[in-house]
Amino acid sequence: MAASSRRRPAFAGAALVAAVLAAGVPVPARAQAASDVEAWTVASGDVRVRCRMTVGGAFDAVTSSLSGTLRPSAPGGASWSGELRVDLATLDTGIALRNDHLRGNYLEVERGPDFRHAVLSSIVLADSPPDRAGRRETRFSGTLTLHGVRRAIEGEAELRRGDGRMQVEAAFSLSLEAFDVPPPRYLGVGVRDAVEVTVTLEARGGAAPPDGAP
Amino acid sequence: MTGTGRSRRSAGTRGFATNAGKARTAVSASRRRQVGTRGFTSPSPAVTRGGVGAPRAWVVALVALSSLLAGWGAQVASAEPTFLSRQYPRCTACHYSASGGGLLTPYGRSLSREEISTFGRQGAGGGAPGEEGFLFGLLDGESPLQLGLDIRPSRVDVDVPGRAIPDRNFLMNLDLQAAWRHDRWTAYGSIGRHPARGGARPISYEHWVSYRVAESVDVRGGRFLPAYGVRFADHTSFTRERMDLAQDDQVYGVEVGVSTDRTLVQVSVGPGRAESLLDDDGRQALTAAGRWQVDLGPRTVVAASVLYRGESRVMPRSTDTGLSFGYAPAARLTTWTHVDVRSQALGTSRRAYIFANQTSLETFRGLWLRVSPQWRWTDTDPRGEVRRLVYGLDFYPRTHWHVNLSYYRDRLPASDLRTQTFLAQLHLYL
Repeated sequence: MAASSRRRPAFAGAALVAAVLAAGVPVPARAQAASDVEAWTVASGDVRVRCRMTVGGAFDAVTSSLSGTLRPSAPGGASWSGELRVDLATLDTGIALRNDHLRGNYLEVERGPDFRHAVLSSIVLADSPPDRAGRRETRFSGTLTLHGVRRAIEGEAELRRGDGRMQVEAAFSLSLEAFDVPPPRYLGVGVRDAVEVTVTLEARGGAAPPDGAP
Repeated sequence: MTGTGRSRRSAGTRGFATNAGKARTAVSASRRRQVGTRGFTSPSPAVTRGGVGAPRAWVVALVALSSLLAGWGAQVASAEPTFLSRQYPRCTACHYSASGGGLLTPYGRSLSREEISTFGRQGAGGGAPGEEGFLFGLLDGESPLQLGLDIRPSRVDVDVPGRAIPDRNFLMNLDLQAAWRHDRWTAYGSIGRHPARGGARPISYEHWVSYRVAESVDVRGGRFLPAYGVRFADHTSFTRERMDLAQDDQVYGVEVGVSTDRTLVQVSVGPGRAESLLDDDGRQALTAAGRWQVDLGPRTVVAASVLYRGESRVMPRSTDTGLSFGYAPAARLTTWTHVDVRSQALGTSRRAYIFANQTSLETFRGLWLRVSPQWRWTDTDPRGEVRRLVYGLDFYPRTHWHVNLSYYRDRLPASDLRTQTFLAQLHLYL
């Protein structure tokens, strides 16, 4: 699936990093190579789920309740431990009736933590993220826990690094049926099985948080 | 375009039948319209076709004024495209008709309660289960047979300099609508009263049958309004009234609709305007329409349309080309813009243009404010220019209840004629 067309502004910090390197000045911690960063923690993000309707057209369910920390689990940064977590109870479709149905009838967020949150873990990038300021597009795979069901997913991501931050836009599609989500139907109008998910986040690099922290 | 989940169908009182004298004014205007003095058609060529010759300016102004006034007796079935702000870019989510308007589906009725009315939402502690159904729940909401009753008692005040036009209270429409949907089939029909000289007569504005050939392909045949542009709820909008897409301008024909996730294509063809075919009034002519909608996003839509009408006994051939753009930057704000070009071989002009915008803002749940600038002009004849500004308020206090207050200010620059119209309407969609 193609990545989202949304783009973040280029990093002004990239020029600073390049200038510092050229001058032979010791690199500050915030501009370390990706493999040197112990962990990336989500500072902000949005998740957009595009649901195609059976009568044509589509609507978006969106949330900004995205959190988590990822750590490179191998040199090069292609494999990551940790997880990204989305609070599904905050998904908003723009109208209350649809929100109620989405959260209560289909995602069943009240059934427990495995239903309340969607969790993406065991992320593997086909290509390593940029180890300095720069941009890279890559495919990725991971394990998604949704509606109490764990399934492998894969998609495409664009990573932009600079100024000690990593901006990510990732997109993938999933089948509701594969996650045992009942087919959304209400008075003759429904949502098709395949939904498209776009995640946009900004993570800050730093030391790994204490064990047990997300 | 697509619906908001509420039916705004209003049957005609073309000619305010509650008052014979008033009726004559509108009926005569309607007659003039039938020979082409309404819509894009420049007044003068139409009169020329009638053998009168070049009209004087005041005649043109009077005819144009009558055309404007005639609209108030001719409400039309309409969808309300403001629900684009709730991520509903297609009419069929809430309406049976693929071109919008008319009876609400059970889903549309549910939304009318839960998302439109101020106090109807059950989730907010209001409303009664099933109250959105026909006559407050008389029929099972999921029954394949759905009924609707549409009533609009109204009051119109028209202010025209130099003319005394009394205020009018009248029943703008009274329509019974029915739809039956089973598997791939949908049958739809309405019956209502149509004001006519000497009294009202029964009329069925729409009746058609559709069949879902494939998951994304529908075919329907019968009497319906061809899909074109954006279907503003206000039937007097220049994009409706002046496009001959108003109250009784449905066609008999066949329509094919192809709907995908991001696009909707509708093509129809038929022998022409239904009422003209029935009355043999000389306006019947081959009519073909096409509309192509692309959903750029859940809240952004663009649609290109074309409407061809062949030459009839009283009207030359015409081709309309339109482009519509709908955008909802926020959950309570929708703006639609539509431009049209009509090509038609007339005596004084061969091309006419329409620009119309409608911007609606929900200031409080169930309370919408709207403003709509509209402009219509021709390539060479300045007498064909009309400018309009509309301010409106729509209030939906409870399911089935809709109060519409609208103020219209029209200006004909060629004669500097200015009119003001105030419409107060209680719309019950039961």
